[in-house]
Amino acid sequence: MITVEHLSKKFGELVVLKDISIEIKTGEVISIIGPSGTGKSTFLRCLNLLDQPSGGTIHVDGVNILDAKVDVPKIRQKMNMVFQSFNLFSHLTVLENLTIAPIKLRGMNRLDAEQKSRELLKLVGLAEKADNYPDELSGGQKQRVAIARCLAMEPEIILFDEPTSALDPTMVSEVLSVIRRLAKDGMTMAIVTHEMAFARDVSNRVLYMDEGLIYEEGTPEQIFENPQKEKTRAFINRVRSFNYQISSPDYDLYAMNAEIEAFCEKQILPRKTRDNLLLLVEELLQMYTPFLQTTLLDMTLSYSEKKESLELVLESAGETVNPLDTALLPDELGLNIIKSLTESIDYHCVDNKNRLTLMMKKN
Amino acid sequence: MEMQILKDAHATVVTITGRLDAVTAPEYEKRLNDLIAGEETGFVVDFEGLDYISSAGLRVLLATAKKLKVKGGQVRFANVRGTVKEVFDISGFGSIFQMDDSVAAALAKIA
Repeated sequence: MITVEHLSKKFGELVVLKDISIEIKTGEVISIIGPSGTGKSTFLRCLNLLDQPSGGTIHVDGVNILDAKVDVPKIRQKMNMVFQSFNLFSHLTVLENLTIAPIKLRGMNRLDAEQKSRELLKLVGLAEKADNYPDELSGGQKQRVAIARCLAMEPEIILFDEPTSALDPTMVSEVLSVIRRLAKDGMTMAIVTHEMAFARDVSNRVLYMDEGLIYEEGTPEQIFENPQKEKTRAFINRVRSFNYQISSPDYDLYAMNAEIEAFCEKQILPRKTRDNLLLLVEELLQMYTPFLQTTLLDMTLSYSEKKESLELVLESAGETVNPLDTALLPDELGLNIIKSLTESIDYHCVDNKNRLTLMMKKN
Repeated sequence: MEMQILKDAHATVVTITGRLDAVTAPEYEKRLNDLIAGEETGFVVDFEGLDYISSAGLRVLLATAKKLKVKGGQVRFANVRGTVKEVFDISGFGSIFQMDDSVAAALAKIA
């Protein structure tokens, strides 16, 4: 149905989409997820020609829509869009919002257009609001009207650009249930969303976008249960990281502690977790002290909000050595504390770097 | 870390507050060594105000206690609770040292 090849988009010097290639087949429901600012909405806007791509091709049913001769309004009828901020005409009633495009663009007569629009309003549960103005509706109702308006043009595919992001949390479900129903009825859809549970539930395919690329794609199970790439994993598990470098045995323990505490506060970690983490870090640094004369230590603390887990990775160059090797330690006091605070400790030499990975015990 | 040293009839009471870690442990060790060198033989260390201890802290507790033992002295620990107690337990210190629920109880045993 839609074939995108090597699509790119720049705004001046800023490259938003680098090289996007994808095929969307009839009946597919595709969720597009990823951090903010990675080009998800721009991708949809390029598909609908609201933004002109800088390079690449887009074919819809075999027609190159980037051809200068293409009938853009006709393309948009096939591929309609629902926006985050509804974009309803505030001076028109709900019914008029739905009938205006079929009458003006498709030449439909008013009576037919009104009858069809009332059916669509019924479908989204808003039949009784036909004569109201958009300002008299809640956010969720406005978005359902926007979906009905989109359906009034009988599109072959609907592009949803964060359809629930502007809504009060109590109104999200009413909009998602309408989109679910469309999916069930076989409508082809591409949905940019931050609603992960919804994306997982409703889609046939999930695209994870990052760095202006489709960084990873797969079935909902593949992307949400077993993401293969690092950034996808971090996003899915809602991982927040903190990095600290130590370049001297005379490091400032208290300055580092203050930064770790600030990180913990930001993640709203319990006081006990924070205390245990500070103790774990101090014990580890004590063991690294003999090596800090000659090597730089890179410490990364990662908290997964989804798994509620804290992982600590310490990397150092220099000779291949596990700093927790008991033969190197003056006693086992520190090691016993480390063991008691962690559920796993893993040492590997990777790319000539000593990497120690510790997973903290949960409280 | 703050240290307060008070001399009782039968022992010296060392009250430590804050953190006993890699940064503050040398200070504790130096002050205890000075007292031991000054022929003090009975000590009660009050942990009531101590929030944090690491292995660096444990090592100086152990080192000063050994030094004292050589001189025929003794040390008792009072009010070891909470996270500090947890670290003591992990390290087996709870069974190495003589622990009391209060400074008064520790002083009574030293006398």
